[in-house]
Amino acid sequence: MRTLSPFRWSTLISGVAVLGLLLAACGPASTPIPLDEPTAAPTAGGAEPTAGSAEPTQAAEPTAAPVAAGGTVKISFVQEPDTLNPIYSAMYFSTITRDFWLRGLFIFDEQLNPVPQLAAEVPTTENGGISADGKTITVKLREGVTWSDGEPVTGDDFVFTYEMIVSEKNTVQTRYPYDTVIDSVTAPDAGTVVIKLTQVFAAWRTSLFLFVLPKHVLQPVFDADGTLDNAEWNRAPTVGVGPFVYEEFESGSHLSFVANPNWFEPPSIERVFIQIVPDDAAQEAAIIAGDVDLGLFLSSDQIERLEAGGAVKVVAVQSGYDEGWFLNLREGLAHPAMLDKNVRLALALATDRFTIVRDLLVEDLNPVNATFWSNNPPYASKTLEPYPYDPEKAMSLLDEAGWTDSDGDGIRDKMIDGKKVDLELRYVTTTRELRKNVQAVVAQQWEAVGIRADLRNVEADQFFAGYADQGPVAIGDFDVAEWSDLPTSFPDPDASEKWRCADIPTDDNPSGQNQGGYCNPEFDKLLEEQSRITDADARIAVYEQIQQMMYDDVAYIGLWLDPDLWSINQRVQGVSIGGVNPFWNVTTWTLK
Amino acid sequence: MTAIAPSNRLDAEALPPQPASPAAVAWRRFQRHRLAMVGMFMLLAVALFVTIGSLFVHGYCSGLKQDVIGERWANCNDTSQIRQPPSSSYLFGTDSVGRDLFARVIFGGQISLLIGVCAALLEVIVGSIVGAVAAYYGGWVDNVLMRLTEAMLNIPSLFLLIVISKFFGGSLPDINLFGRHLTGSVAVIILVIALTSWMYLARIVRASVLSLRERDYVSAARALGVSDRRIIFTHLLPNTLAPIVVTATLGVANAILSEAYVSFLGLGVTGATATWGNMLEGAYRYLEAAPWLWFFPGILILLTVLGVNFVGDGLRDALDPGGLKDL
Amino acid sequence: MTAFVIRRLLQAVPQLFIISVLLFGLMQAFGDPIATLGGRTPPRAEDRERLTRLLGLDQPVWMQYAFWLAGNDWFMMDRDGDGIGDTPGGRRGVLRGDWGTSLVTRKPVMEDIADRLPNTLLLGLVGEIVIIIGSLTIGIYSALNRYTFVDNVITALSFAGFSMPVFWLALMLMYIFAVNFRRWGLPYLPTVGMFDPDVGPSLSELLRHMVLPVATLSLISIAGYSRYVRSSMLDVLGQDYIRTAKAKGLTAVKVLRKHALQNAALPFVTLIGLDLPFLLAGATVTESIFAWPGMGRLFLERTDRADYPTLMAILMMISIAVVFFQLITDLVYSFLDPRIRLD
Repeated sequence: MRTLSPFRWSTLISGVAVLGLLLAACGPASTPIPLDEPTAAPTAGGAEPTAGSAEPTQAAEPTAAPVAAGGTVKISFVQEPDTLNPIYSAMYFSTITRDFWLRGLFIFDEQLNPVPQLAAEVPTTENGGISADGKTITVKLREGVTWSDGEPVTGDDFVFTYEMIVSEKNTVQTRYPYDTVIDSVTAPDAGTVVIKLTQVFAAWRTSLFLFVLPKHVLQPVFDADGTLDNAEWNRAPTVGVGPFVYEEFESGSHLSFVANPNWFEPPSIERVFIQIVPDDAAQEAAIIAGDVDLGLFLSSDQIERLEAGGAVKVVAVQSGYDEGWFLNLREGLAHPAMLDKNVRLALALATDRFTIVRDLLVEDLNPVNATFWSNNPPYASKTLEPYPYDPEKAMSLLDEAGWTDSDGDGIRDKMIDGKKVDLELRYVTTTRELRKNVQAVVAQQWEAVGIRADLRNVEADQFFAGYADQGPVAIGDFDVAEWSDLPTSFPDPDASEKWRCADIPTDDNPSGQNQGGYCNPEFDKLLEEQSRITDADARIAVYEQIQQMMYDDVAYIGLWLDPDLWSINQRVQGVSIGGVNPFWNVTTWTLK
Repeated sequence: MTAIAPSNRLDAEALPPQPASPAAVAWRRFQRHRLAMVGMFMLLAVALFVTIGSLFVHGYCSGLKQDVIGERWANCNDTSQIRQPPSSSYLFGTDSVGRDLFARVIFGGQISLLIGVCAALLEVIVGSIVGAVAAYYGGWVDNVLMRLTEAMLNIPSLFLLIVISKFFGGSLPDINLFGRHLTGSVAVIILVIALTSWMYLARIVRASVLSLRERDYVSAARALGVSDRRIIFTHLLPNTLAPIVVTATLGVANAILSEAYVSFLGLGVTGATATWGNMLEGAYRYLEAAPWLWFFPGILILLTVLGVNFVGDGLRDALDPGGLKDL
Repeated sequence: MTAFVIRRLLQAVPQLFIISVLLFGLMQAFGDPIATLGGRTPPRAEDRERLTRLLGLDQPVWMQYAFWLAGNDWFMMDRDGDGIGDTPGGRRGVLRGDWGTSLVTRKPVMEDIADRLPNTLLLGLVGEIVIIIGSLTIGIYSALNRYTFVDNVITALSFAGFSMPVFWLALMLMYIFAVNFRRWGLPYLPTVGMFDPDVGPSLSELLRHMVLPVATLSLISIAGYSRYVRSSMLDVLGQDYIRTAKAKGLTAVKVLRKHALQNAALPFVTLIGLDLPFLLAGATVTESIFAWPGMGRLFLERTDRADYPTLMAILMMISIAVVFFQLITDLVYSFLDPRIRLD
């Protein structure tokens, strides 16, 4: 029965196999002429050394000849930007691409200081940019800046941007803070923008005009459609203003931007290529293999593996996020024990967050944070220390509060209205691996002091779902909720909505954002006060009080500072990731 | 062949004079299926491992400062012992929070097998009832049920799995079973897997009941005034046993694998409860760095699924040597 | 014949209706499309209320279904938030060919799908070809060499094959052929994507990037299908006419080619035919891991954002394709086998 050989199938298969192997063997070097035809200089020399240096284990570099300019920097995103039009997207991955193609008045460097971009300088009271009452801001625009199609950038573009954001006709993602603080935006001449505020607004630098829309492109669309919702420009913004120009956006695959030689600081690299890699483990493999130069959204346990080859460095960038426990203080929804400040303090004391960050994270990168504002220098409290780990004290606090193990089952309980209530707390968070691990560790630490944890994991879109959609955080179906958050308009805090009495979600106020239900009128007053102070030191002093008050009330328990981790292949030189604008200095990047 | 023939004759002589019952015939055929017997032993070994094994696991839990046994040991974490490779103190190594993988594989296996068996049972119950009812009553009942069946078959199974697990996610309360505390997500997974897999069986049962319905003994029963329910459960379904048994067997393997997929998509069993599926999912990121994390749950899934498939193969041959090839 | 086709199409209408109602109901539990809007934290109260209203998510479920099915241009939407409808909606509804706008990209849903579908079909069809060739070869080989050592090894491997989760196989292949081969200085394959940006898109780049995903897709399916081919081949080989043909003195090759293969392949071809519409769904896991921009990933990504217009469109499109392919299969059947009457 030797019958297989006559089949053409087998020849076909071996043909396919051989073809595959051949292709694999050829490697990228043998493939035809690269696409970038306008960059005559780098093409010939450019392709070879990149292929060579992409091998992480190659100790001695065979083709070390550095390329003066040109080349492609490859970045991987785990999520695809939903849309590129900033008024329609809240996505981090959409926001950070603007550093390439759509700059605003300022950009923030790695020290989080504003660097003027479309503005000629940062307006201050001294240089006359800010009026004496602090309510009028006059911005002089940088001269000679043009959109990528050659049209000049004028004050009218800013007026148009403001109008589009507040227009009822556009389904914009957020109007903050344009709908609350702005009285008017005008352009007395082409090179000036005047912003009139309804009240003094301290956080304006970090929240106003971080982008601008091209009026000459979008006004006709708005006039024709009555809205910008369906504008072609949202997905394919061919006209922008920045060191790079939009080139391509293939859904699910990649985005690319090419250098803009007309930018006032022309970039040295030729192209930025953003590959969408949704799977974390695959992203890790791609970084290790050298198929990706810059990766983000990494976790700390990956650092060692990524850096093992020597070609990749991982850097941590503070972007304002702290991981922490939002405690439920809402009567009737929270466990009765949660309403007792001492029980909340006992929770903090019973949890060894210090060991957790040492063993599950990287202690130096992720120290335990004392308050919600700890990751927000210079406003972070300078006096407060994280609640210590002291299980003995936790137990005595619980005893004093009347929570004792009366039935000997290892879990504390208390008679409330004639009914025995166990001290079992709902500890809810998302499905992220690290969070699940932390939950497991915490549950055991709580068990040691007689608290039982009811661990729950919900996917992010259900976790943060609104009141009407029965989101566990919104409807208060938790005692301890863990997530990573930051004060609004980081790095200049304006955390007005997270902690005020008026923002507790209820049937009448279903969209309230104070899900923990912390309510302290004194605290509200201080929050209001800080937003009216323009003097930085005075404002910092008020924030010290704010943090002290919340620390004493134990409404939030810090777990760790949550910086973003970036991997940088040493092939790319001069990268300095910023916390607000990661690619702020992209113009000075070079490729080795 | 010549070697078997005499022994056959010997069997025939030893047999009692009356013809063997169908079950005995099937059992004999099954025993002769070598692979099926191997599968049986594999399943038996896995089952013994996760049941008997659970009686022996214990250790000193430094976090609780006491000796603990059973599941409490499986859940006992020690963050100073994260991702330790297999050693004499941790036979299968430790996981990402320093739990003993050996104990977790045992207790996770209980859940995985529970999910497998329950989901397969539920699948069989739903599938055979829908199929039998549709075929027996015919008319609009048949029409509605079969349209529903086809509607569900029209959706890719992984998508259906995602949609239904999102629908039920987090909505069921915790359960206590044989002294183990299980999160509601275990029940959700069982429900989801069963609800996405009953359709093929419903079609098969419907087809065979359709042909049985017109048999004389069914007409006779009906003429005698036997209730519909009794006819379906005592006369029709037992005669379609072969496809049901085979589907149920293979359903166990399917459910165990589905659980792994659901876990990979982040919709699996949550909370402290371990399963092979969510252990594999957690291990996936340490493919190279900590291979023992996936090796042990992986090999147990492999053994179970292989065993079930071998047994299923044998059952198919034993119960109905001619047909059922399409299952 | 025409009557049959018309009747079948009419039958499909209630079926598709049931599917759409069922799915739309299930979608409601998917989470909140504006939970985070893809950001890291929930939106501000004012924005949440405004977006709920503007996207029509404040309407009751049956109303949202009606909008989805029949559009909302006959309904006054409340754009300014004063509680009174002022602007007619802009949707025409599925019945009039408008599948709605994605809540994520704000683009027409069909454009989003059109971006991904070619990639999925490319991967799926190539995968399907590899699967057919592979499983026929292996299945026939092991049927002809039943119970030999090689057959037993193949049997064991194929059982192992379908007990292996795809995600694990995919990452394993990536680590071996893309990461470690490069480390060891061997010819290697790329990790993710469809082409190397340093080189640019080209056919050879595409083929190189397809090797691993296609291998992942096909290895597990070959395991299952080759078992199927093997058993149907064994059935055919046991038939009388094969024995007759052999007795006539035909060579083994001729018997195989003329009789056995033809008859054994028919049910297999049907099986593949029924699988084809599901190719539209894409390979969710494989596409995610190899960053292949296909439909399966689209579905998964939009699940996370509860983008129900896109999800509904994908699922309904596949359902329609399944109905259509079933009809085609039946027609082809009656054409091939005159004994089957279409009624």
